[in-house]
Amino acid sequence: MAMALAVAPTRMELLKLRQRVGLAQKGYDLLKEKMDALVIEFFEVLKRIQEARPKALEQLSVAHRALSMCFAIVGTLETKQASKETKRELQVDVSTRHIMGIAVPAVEVGEVERNALIRGYGLHMTSSVLDEASKKFERALKLLIELAELEESAFAIAREFEKTKRRVNALEYILIPRLKEAIKFIMMRLDEMERENFSRLKRIKAMLEERE
Amino acid sequence: MSSDRIIKLELSRLNLHLPERRLSLKEALLSPRPQVVARDGSVHVFKRGELEFLAGLLPEADRDKLPLPILIALEPKLGRGTARISGEVEVKVVSQVLGKEAAAGELLIYRPEVAILRRKLPTTTQYLFMW
Repeated sequence: MAMALAVAPTRMELLKLRQRVGLAQKGYDLLKEKMDALVIEFFEVLKRIQEARPKALEQLSVAHRALSMCFAIVGTLETKQASKETKRELQVDVSTRHIMGIAVPAVEVGEVERNALIRGYGLHMTSSVLDEASKKFERALKLLIELAELEESAFAIAREFEKTKRRVNALEYILIPRLKEAIKFIMMRLDEMERENFSRLKRIKAMLEERE
Repeated sequence: MSSDRIIKLELSRLNLHLPERRLSLKEALLSPRPQVVARDGSVHVFKRGELEFLAGLLPEADRDKLPLPILIALEPKLGRGTARISGEVEVKVVSQVLGKEAAAGELLIYRPEVAILRRKLPTTTQYLFMW
């Protein structure tokens, strides 16, 4: 149960407390709306992750199979040599988008798949099997970048959700009940004082009547 | 800090992600990097794919009348999960995206529709908290 606030039982204090409850209630309503919106966003991202993750893993396993084939046909050393010669540049545009103040990454990837000439390794020492493996890894890379964007978004939304939930709970279970408790206390105290006054007046009136 | 000040601070921070100046769809389409600067100084970038999707929904003449991002206004007094879309062109676009009948000037949408709208337009829509 929420502990009552130590307050002076005056009408002024009652007015102040009523204003505070109004503000706390407004904050609670808005944060609750924010929490609902965060849930929508979170499940949306989760759904997209569930679609993107199997695709990326599938593509990775296809790429690994192609690489094993390449090791077998071209040779391990030759493949590793070719990988060292490959250009490791990728045009990725990383910016941010905002979901209720949470900055989540927005990644726009250009063309990841390259042709054998652009990759940078020598063509006379390698085979088309290597080209095929490279192409499959490039496809996997694109899917992994998309997955990374989604996973980072999910983490950011979850962190914000946790923070918002803590605030909503503090308002719902601590602050608002305490304020209401204090209002109840003041109202009861004021009523009691009024009753005391009333009976005091009646007593004075009776005494005055006796005297007359 | 008193709890009231914390609540006021929290409320004042709710809309800091909104842009200082909204961009029209036409401006966004013409810009090499379509983006807006938020009130907290951060940058919010629109995805080109979404801009093209929106352009496909509107006649050429209306493209400079659609301010971006489209604001999804959440108001507790409307009821939990209810949102308001204001503005003639915004309502037209959102109605088309959701497959709803177009209303004049204002449209109320509900939580499942908000989810659909956010799924289709994640960067070109933003939440606005009203009280």
